[in-house]
Amino acid sequence: MGETEQAASIDELLKSIIGKPTSSSRVMVERAPVTFFAEAVLERSELYHSPEAAKAAGLADIPAPPTYGMVLEVWGKYPELQQPDDEPGGAPLMEILGPLMARGGLILHGEQEFLYHRPVVVGDVLVGKGHVADAYQKESKGRTMTFIVTETNWSDDTTGEPVVTTRFNLIHRA
Amino acid sequence: MGEQKLFFDEVTEGDQAPSRTHTLTRTDLVRYAGASGDYNPMHHDEIQATAAGQPSVFGHGMFSMGFLGSAIDEYVGVANLTRYQVRFARQTGPGEELSTRVTVRGKRTEGGRHLIDLDVRLVNQEGEEKVVGEATAELPTRG
Repeated sequence: MGETEQAASIDELLKSIIGKPTSSSRVMVERAPVTFFAEAVLERSELYHSPEAAKAAGLADIPAPPTYGMVLEVWGKYPELQQPDDEPGGAPLMEILGPLMARGGLILHGEQEFLYHRPVVVGDVLVGKGHVADAYQKESKGRTMTFIVTETNWSDDTTGEPVVTTRFNLIHRA
Repeated sequence: MGEQKLFFDEVTEGDQAPSRTHTLTRTDLVRYAGASGDYNPMHHDEIQATAAGQPSVFGHGMFSMGFLGSAIDEYVGVANLTRYQVRFARQTGPGEELSTRVTVRGKRTEGGRHLIDLDVRLVNQEGEEKVVGEATAELPTRG
């Protein structure tokens, strides 16, 4: 396959993964990982340690730090919470990254965004649905850069209300 | 809404939050690896990192975003953010002195919500930008 045809097929592949599901999970938000995470990012507020202080500030319980949305799936994704139809099937990111990495290059975390609809607090059970929000290539300083944006919408398992949206922007630099 | 610490009425465009400064250590990286589950060896294994051509282990971008987030928290009050976005501009390394720069870019009221927009960045001792972004917080008023 020539360079042009290869480029065309990557372009089609990128378009084809937009909208595809990437993850689906149900997680518990628990005190120990939240407080440990707060310490790891050097938060100093008592609200991350004391349920009483958090309640005095009007929160239901100890809140999660601003970037905790990134690790919700690392902590508290217990097997018994998952439902059989939760698994999205397929791995759209790997469909792209596989062929790109086969030709070398670097994968970088380019950008990260959080949209907060209400605070994440200890005791929450959240449902996260991820999908590919965007995928494209552009040339920069003679290098081909591939951008893949994964968006995950977390909502309250009980009420269905939106809680936090995360946007993870991955860059492959050839 | 979260902790009542800063009030909308008292904020003026151009205001700066108190800066936090921290010298990055390998222990910070190990603790963040454990807390985040990100065990990419480039962040904790000096031997693998140097073999891969890096001068040393380097910091998790999300540690930088998290530390910068703590300075935002301490200014606007915990659990008041409505949005927080960054671009990871450069890698961080052990021994670098990282400082937060949080500046009020504007304030607005939308649908009865009092919002302030912030320019946020993390820089090293030479002013080199590591993380650059923006945040929005909803604040209470002294009514």
